Amino acid sequence: MWAYVFRRLIYNIPVYLTIIFVVMALLRVNDPVYAFLGKNTTQEDIDRRREEFGLDRPFLTQYGEFLKRLAFFDFSQESWSRRGRKVSDEIAGAVIPTLSLTIPALTLTSLISIFVGMISAFFRGRNLDRGLVFFAVLGMSISFLVYIILGQYFIAYLPQKYFESHDMKETWGSVWFAIQGYEPGLQHWFHYIMLPVLISVIVAMGYDTRFYRAVMVEETGRDYIVTARSKGATQSKIMFVHMLRNALIPIVTRIMITLPFLITGSILLEMYFNIPGMGKTLITAINEKNLPIIETFTSLFAGLFILSNILTDVLYAIVDPRVRLT
Amino acid sequence: MMQRIRKTRAGRKLLANRMALGAMLIIGVYLAAAIFVMLGGISPSFCNQPVGPPNIPGFFAEAPAEKRLVNAENTLAVVDRALAKSTPESQQASLDEIQVGLRKLEKISLDDFELKLEKAYAIYDDLSASPDLENDESGLALLADLESEVESLTATPTFSQQVMETIYLSLGTDRQGRSIFIRAVFSIKVAVQIGVVTAMISVAIGSVLGALAGFFGGWVDHAVIWLYSTFSSIPNLVLLVVLAYVFSSINVEIFGKAIGQTLIPVYVAFCCTFWIGPCRVIRGETLKIKELEYVQASTTAGFSPVYTLLRHVLPNTIHLMLINFSLLLIGAIKSEVILSFLNLGVQAGAGASWGIMIRDSRSEVLNSFFWQIGAATTLMFIFVLAFNILSDALQDAFDPKHV
Repeated sequence: MWAYVFRRLIYNIPVYLTIIFVVMALLRVNDPVYAFLGKNTTQEDIDRRREEFGLDRPFLTQYGEFLKRLAFFDFSQESWSRRGRKVSDEIAGAVIPTLSLTIPALTLTSLISIFVGMISAFFRGRNLDRGLVFFAVLGMSISFLVYIILGQYFIAYLPQKYFESHDMKETWGSVWFAIQGYEPGLQHWFHYIMLPVLISVIVAMGYDTRFYRAVMVEETGRDYIVTARSKGATQSKIMFVHMLRNALIPIVTRIMITLPFLITGSILLEMYFNIPGMGKTLITAINEKNLPIIETFTSLFAGLFILSNILTDVLYAIVDPRVRLT
Repeated sequence: MMQRIRKTRAGRKLLANRMALGAMLIIGVYLAAAIFVMLGGISPSFCNQPVGPPNIPGFFAEAPAEKRLVNAENTLAVVDRALAKSTPESQQASLDEIQVGLRKLEKISLDDFELKLEKAYAIYDDLSASPDLENDESGLALLADLESEVESLTATPTFSQQVMETIYLSLGTDRQGRSIFIRAVFSIKVAVQIGVVTAMISVAIGSVLGALAGFFGGWVDHAVIWLYSTFSSIPNLVLLVVLAYVFSSINVEIFGKAIGQTLIPVYVAFCCTFWIGPCRVIRGETLKIKELEYVQASTTAGFSPVYTLLRHVLPNTIHLMLINFSLLLIGAIKSEVILSFLNLGVQAGAGASWGIMIRDSRSEVLNSFFWQIGAATTLMFIFVLAFNILSDALQDAFDPKHV
């Protein structure tokens, strides 16, 4: 197995090098220093900054140096727009808000949609199943942004306004979902993060439920179910023990594939609810043309994607002994 | 054509699916609307033109009394400002320029305008003193008076103008007084354009690369896998954002427009990430088909690999292309909303899009005005739902194992 992991890692090195090359090249199509400083700057200013940022050197030198830094996990580059703040500081500050949003969201989504998918598969073809599938398709057809806007208005804004007008701001207003914002600390978690979590669960439910239903339906037709039934196993035992265990392979794959999103976070939710996570930091950096942050973040994200792909294949082999890693 | 479709098992299954037929009908209606707009039915500049007072509700419901008062006062103020000019000529000139919604002012003498204005302002002063206009019977009657007084300032519309106005105001107006109906319908064209173009290009690139990789194997396969693992390892949204950002700062002109103002950046950004899905699927399918007897027979008979690929392999993956096309179209339309939210999607100069409308409606929602978000969401919802149903039906028809 370790030989397989090693080989996959080697195989993915050229992929990773290309990604970094493409991203760095794309960002230099237009003079990034000029874009960063804006239109009202003198040529001298631009030249001075370019030298300071090290962009006056040939592209390949810059590429080589970036790779070297990445290889030693050296994120000590200075952020362009906030002097004195290193890229590593930005990463450290953004990881926790993101994880506090994505881990509960992924857990809740997976648990609920596996359960709903199982129920749907169990009642296959009957009205309950048809209704669930229909709602899943309906839910998939609405834009993410609409869920966010309406969710924020009806679940956070209106109640908060009500509390304010009824003198309950101190008691209820600080407990109920905030309209937006973020504060560190577990006691603030429900107030700030729960609503984005709920919205992302609702959005993801449509896709995941359909997927898990399809997985479960495939299992219901198998011979071992007939065997289990004929030996007198109860219905719930068949569902939760026999079926769930065999359906674990696609479930694990599905969850593993979404793992990188734990770190990249939900860019939209973070932007909208003003949560200073990884996604929001990256988008802000793009808007500010803050090159060191854009480059480091994208290469980190890409690395995570590649690692999780390899991990998925390995886990696949662990869960299903029939799969050989070659 | 129909006969040939009926002859296949999948075709029969598809035509027997009533939901799918309904979905196709809806898609047809949307396509017709898109073609109407494309042929010049609604121009992009018309989308951005005010047709009435800001934020009036749709279905000709009455706006809140406060709002009606403010709207009437705004019109009066515009006329008043024109009359405040120093010379009669300049007064007349600026009166001629005034447009209330789409209407011009009545052609009456300056003195008449003065009189009418005075009368209207007298009513307005009475009304603005009223503390609770919404529940004040006599106040509301006065408000109606004021509105008819304001309306008498404008030229009486002809019948066709009236009909047009009814259509424009049928779903209300946004914060800048632009017709929500017109913008929502125009967005159909933008959505269809983005969806069809990106889905078509992505499926074409994906199928060609996938089929080549699967059929020839060896270094071609390695190269294609390397290419798509590269693209798929960059988070989707990040790649979209970086590409859109690069394009927005390039100064290249196409058809007399800066490239950042056209839809091309959106196309490129979507195609870069969307081709991966069809490529993977078609590569897998080609690997399977390659081993089948008829392909081997074709090879043994001495046909060139290219001919075999085009004649025997690719035609047997068409159903996958169709399903992928439908799925990517949905993906493109939904991603457009997200790009527009990040200010990187369709630019205002290109008219309107559902993404822009949903983005703009955020501040309106806080004022409990739901017409814009409602119109954009409903139109998009029906369209995407129809495509979702159609993709499911296609999958059902062509892939009996799929549940």
